[in-house]
Amino acid sequence: MYYAPETTPIDLPTFHSQIKLPYTLTPGRAAGIFLVEIANGRIVGSRFKDGSVIAPAQDFSPKDGEEPEALVEAPDTGELTGFTRVDGAVIGLIRLDGCANAFTHRILGELADLKVGQRVKAEWDGAAGQSILAIKGFVVAADAPVGTVKELGELPEPLGVVNYAFALDYEHAYGPYYGRMFDEIKQNGVFMGVRGSNADEALLPPREIDDITHKRTGTWKACADTGTIRACSIINIEVYGQTRQVPYVYAEVVLDGASTKMIHVIEIDDLEHAKKNIKPGTRVRAVWTKGERQGRVSDIERFEVIDG
Amino acid sequence: MGREVGIVGVGQTHHSRRRTDVSQAGLVREAVNRALADAKLSMDDIDTVVVATGPVLFGGVNQPEKWVVDAIGAQGKSVVRLTSGGGAGFAGALAGYYQVAGGYSERTLVVAYDKLSEGPLQYSISTLYDPFWGREFAVGIMGFSAAYWRARMDVLGHTEEAAAMCAAKNRNNAINNPYAHQKKAVTVEDVLNSKPLCWPIKLLDVPPISDGAAAIVLANDKVAHHSNSRPAWIRGIAYCCEADNAPERSLMVSEPLALASRQVYRAAGITNPRRQFDVVEIQEPYSCFELNYYESLGLCPPGQAADLVASGATQLDGDIPVNPSGGCMGANPIGAVGVIRLIEAATQVMGRNESHQIKDAKLALVQSGGGWANLRGCAVLSA
Repeated sequence: MYYAPETTPIDLPTFHSQIKLPYTLTPGRAAGIFLVEIANGRIVGSRFKDGSVIAPAQDFSPKDGEEPEALVEAPDTGELTGFTRVDGAVIGLIRLDGCANAFTHRILGELADLKVGQRVKAEWDGAAGQSILAIKGFVVAADAPVGTVKELGELPEPLGVVNYAFALDYEHAYGPYYGRMFDEIKQNGVFMGVRGSNADEALLPPREIDDITHKRTGTWKACADTGTIRACSIINIEVYGQTRQVPYVYAEVVLDGASTKMIHVIEIDDLEHAKKNIKPGTRVRAVWTKGERQGRVSDIERFEVIDG
Repeated sequence: MGREVGIVGVGQTHHSRRRTDVSQAGLVREAVNRALADAKLSMDDIDTVVVATGPVLFGGVNQPEKWVVDAIGAQGKSVVRLTSGGGAGFAGALAGYYQVAGGYSERTLVVAYDKLSEGPLQYSISTLYDPFWGREFAVGIMGFSAAYWRARMDVLGHTEEAAAMCAAKNRNNAINNPYAHQKKAVTVEDVLNSKPLCWPIKLLDVPPISDGAAAIVLANDKVAHHSNSRPAWIRGIAYCCEADNAPERSLMVSEPLALASRQVYRAAGITNPRRQFDVVEIQEPYSCFELNYYESLGLCPPGQAADLVASGATQLDGDIPVNPSGGCMGANPIGAVGVIRLIEAATQVMGRNESHQIKDAKLALVQSGGGWANLRGCAVLSA
């Protein structure tokens, strides 16, 4: 059965990982035209059948999902409907004159000078291009006259693609089982698993509960750094994020003494030769990286085929 | 058991390699509008909404259902989002089915989509692997899938040629699918001679990367007739999982799919799937999976999938056509595919399939799930 041990939080080192991805996002028609026009110093909004205008322009009404009747030009003046300070910068919610919604932007001013309902005006940055940051921010403008929504003339082609990227950093907690395994890899260069509830072969990576019997797993066991390929494929496709040069073999290897697989790579020179000589059942051995071990699976640099 | 549940309206986008004219939300709206029009309903008639997509890193937009809800006019309704890798759309349909069957909703809209042109696909799939144990060397889903196909070759005889027959069949069927975007006639030899990407997987074993959305309206037996005189009734539906890296797990026959089909066949009274089904729609992320699914679904015994495809039985004019729509080979907007397969099967039993209507089709089998090993399901539809 399952165990619910008494636990208390303790601070331990974490496992760092980063996910870094590039995107080519599609803004769609309204936002695409907004981005083209903002580079020309015009703020494009959407006017819906009931006469309400929202800016920046949207393809669909946030009220009922209807499409806009027309895209229009909103004024660059409005009022502050809320504000806060983040990291030293002031962020505000701005409702442009003639518009029904408020949107978020920078406020170029001191927090102490702001109040809800204050008149504000956009400060433009001509060099920022097709980005919401073509408006550098909004400044307090107590005397700014109330602007009006105007018709837009001929509409430009919308911007089709916006390049975007992010890098997300994570600090994963190891937990006691992964913690011990990676300690052993780092300190001793040994892959340790735990025996199944009713077996001598080790589950690798180690875990508290046996997946098959749902009983508590057994004692710790060192596995060899030799093993057998369970499944493999020959990678000949180059994809974003790859760390090895193609072609190479993607291999799921069961280390001697274990019952579960680990994923690793085998270097090859030639695709045709690899097709014939590297397959399920092929015996392999680990080639460790030179230098200090980090306590990661990549402390094994690669596997190589055991000849004969 | 609760209420009977039928598919009463369907809609999908004209899928494409890249849609730069609409945002993710705009893409969803197209499919939803088509499904509502098909069901002769407006959003006011819908009680609950399920939004299904692939992993959030595919499109780089977190909590996209909030964006989607605005675009489809579903503000104020009960909405849940589901994500489940390749089977996301199917899992969404299952959630919608539970809501209607359980009596909590009379009509539920399920919309599923992915806009795969916007991010690096294989790398985002690699992030599904354990960050400690495997992610560093993962090659998306392709490296893994190819590896187990290679293993099945030795054990079950799933040869490169047999998989190429599946790829060629589906690619040629897709030519007639008005929603597909990859429409080029190919031969088995073309597939075998195409460039190895993750050998044994070759270029023509791999579906395109697509932008697309698909929506269905599910209704109970009380209100279904308002939309459709001949709904596609869901006679059984299940979606099962297994442990990811457990011992005693060979990945030869797909265990979760075998479990799901056993449940579904019992519910639907299927005792001889090969004889009883008129048509089958399968989600084949790579051609090799189709062979695997023939066996897990019981269309043939393990080890005979290659013979089944070679016999011609799964061709359009065979006794059990598989993927008259072309399957994923015509279009593969991953998160949407589970719903697309349901649509293609539903329109078969409704008698109005737009790709290749199988004559007098009354009973259809739908399979869906990820290229990832451990989540797969199936459903039985009948008129």
